[in-house]
Amino acid sequence: MSSSEHDVGAVTDFQVGRPHRVEIDGRALVILNVGDRIYAVRDICPHQGARLSDGQCKSRLRVTAVGTQPEIQADDLVLQCAWHGWMFDLDTGRALTENDSARVRTYSARVQDSRVLVDTT
Amino acid sequence: MAQAVITDPKETDTVEERVTSGTIDTDVHPYPNTITDLTPFLSSRWNQYIEQSGFKGPPGTQYPKGYEMAGRRDAWPPNGQRVGSDPDFARQQLLDHWNIRYAVLNPLYGHEKVHNDDFSIALASAINAWMSAMWLDNDDRWRGSISVTANLPEAAAEEIRRVAKDPRYVQIIVTVRSESPYGKRVFHPIFEAACDVGLPVGIHFGTWGNNPITAAGWPSYYLEDHTGMTQAFEAQVLSLVSEGVFEKFPDLKIALIEGGFAWLPPLMWRFDKNYKGLREEVPWLRRLPSEYILEHFRMTTQPMDEPPNPQHFLQILDMIGRDDFLMFATDYPHWDFDAPDRALPSVVRGDLRTKIMSENAAAFYEFERA
Repeated sequence: MSSSEHDVGAVTDFQVGRPHRVEIDGRALVILNVGDRIYAVRDICPHQGARLSDGQCKSRLRVTAVGTQPEIQADDLVLQCAWHGWMFDLDTGRALTENDSARVRTYSARVQDSRVLVDTT
Repeated sequence: MAQAVITDPKETDTVEERVTSGTIDTDVHPYPNTITDLTPFLSSRWNQYIEQSGFKGPPGTQYPKGYEMAGRRDAWPPNGQRVGSDPDFARQQLLDHWNIRYAVLNPLYGHEKVHNDDFSIALASAINAWMSAMWLDNDDRWRGSISVTANLPEAAAEEIRRVAKDPRYVQIIVTVRSESPYGKRVFHPIFEAACDVGLPVGIHFGTWGNNPITAAGWPSYYLEDHTGMTQAFEAQVLSLVSEGVFEKFPDLKIALIEGGFAWLPPLMWRFDKNYKGLREEVPWLRRLPSEYILEHFRMTTQPMDEPPNPQHFLQILDMIGRDDFLMFATDYPHWDFDAPDRALPSVVRGDLRTKIMSENAAAFYEFERA
C-alpha cells in the first residue's frame, strides 16, 4: 500500500453492484464494487449536491434505431444519482449527457489482500 | 430578394413609408365561402352525398370567438361573402396594402373533424384543388400549404406526394390539437412524405381531436382556449423530440404557427434537465432536446407575445438563442391580426428586424423554387 492509499475496508464489506459511502480524512467517497473491479468517486453530485451513494449502479443502454428496444450493455456501468437521475461514467466521472461539463471526481481504487485501497491523490 | 422591411415607424408616416417591400407573411387563412365553392373539386359521389345530406361544412368552433369566424370586422369582403373567401379583396387589403412579398396560405377548413374517413380525405383534396385554382392562380405572391387528413397518415402522405408537385406549395399544414401527439409512430408516414418532397410541416393553432382542449379539461371561455393553446404546442414539441422523429427524419423541418414563442426557453430548460435523468426512456436521442428543437423547429410571431417591458422581448430572443428562429405572421383575416409595421416592438431593429420580417421565412420556405 502506498502512502497516498487508504484502506477503506474488506472487499466483502462492499456488496457487489451497490454504492457504499466511506469517509477518508473528512472527504466522502462512493465505493462501488462491480465484481471484477472497484470504483471510487466523490460522494457528491455536481448538479445539486446529493449523495451519489444513495443512487444506483446500472448498465448503459444502447439502441440501434428509433423505436427499437435498447440492449443492456452489461459491461458498461454508470452511477446514477438518486435525486434527478443524472448518470456518470465510472471511469471518467463525466455526466453522460452530451455537451455537459458536469463531472464527478474519480479516484484510483484496487483490491489487495482482500482489502479495498483508495488513492486520494 | 427584397430587403429592408421597416424603417423607424412614426405615427405620422404612411404605411408605404413605414413598410417597404419584402415582408413575408407566414400565416394567412383562405376560406371557401360555402360548400359549393368546393363542389367543382369533388367527385360526383361526394357531390351527391352533399346534396342529399344537406352537408354545409365541417363542425364549427368549440368556443364562440370574439368576432364571427374570428374575422377582422373590416375583412369581410364588400361582395357580401365570408371573411377570407375573396382572393381579390385579400390581395388588396393584405398584399398590396402592406407590401407583402409572399404570404403563406394556411386553410383551416376543418375537414379533420369529419368522421367519415373517405369524405374527410376528399375534402382535403378539394381544398387543395380549390386553393390552387382560386388563390395561387390569383397572384404569384400567394403560396400554399397542403391540407391533409392527419389522422389518416397513409392517405395524408399520398396527398402530400401528389400536391407537392406544384412548387407553389411550400408546406404541409396540420392543426396542433390532435388526438395523439404527432411524434407517435402512427404519424411517421406524414413526415416521411414531407422529407421525400422537401417540404416542412406546419403545426397550426386549432383542433381536429376530440380531447379536452386543456390538460385540466374543458374551460369555459374562448379567452382560455386562445391563451392556453400553448399547452398543445408544448406537447407536440415534447413528443416529436422524445419519439426520435428527428433522428429518423434528419431533414424534417417543423413550423409552429400561431402558438406563441415566449414559452419555449423554459420548456427547453426543463426538457434538457429532465432528459439528463430520464434519457434511458429515449435512448435513440443523441443530443440534448433543445438542440433538436433549435435545429428543426421555427416559430411564427403572431399572436405576438407582448411583454410590458419591450426590452424583455429581446431577452426572450436571447434565451431562444437563434436570430433565425422567428418568422413574421399576420394571421389575416383574423381578429388578432398583427400589423407588419407595429407588431414587433421598436427595440427590434436593423438586421434582426429584417430577419424576422422576411429573411428567416425566405430561408425556411425557399419560395423561389416556384
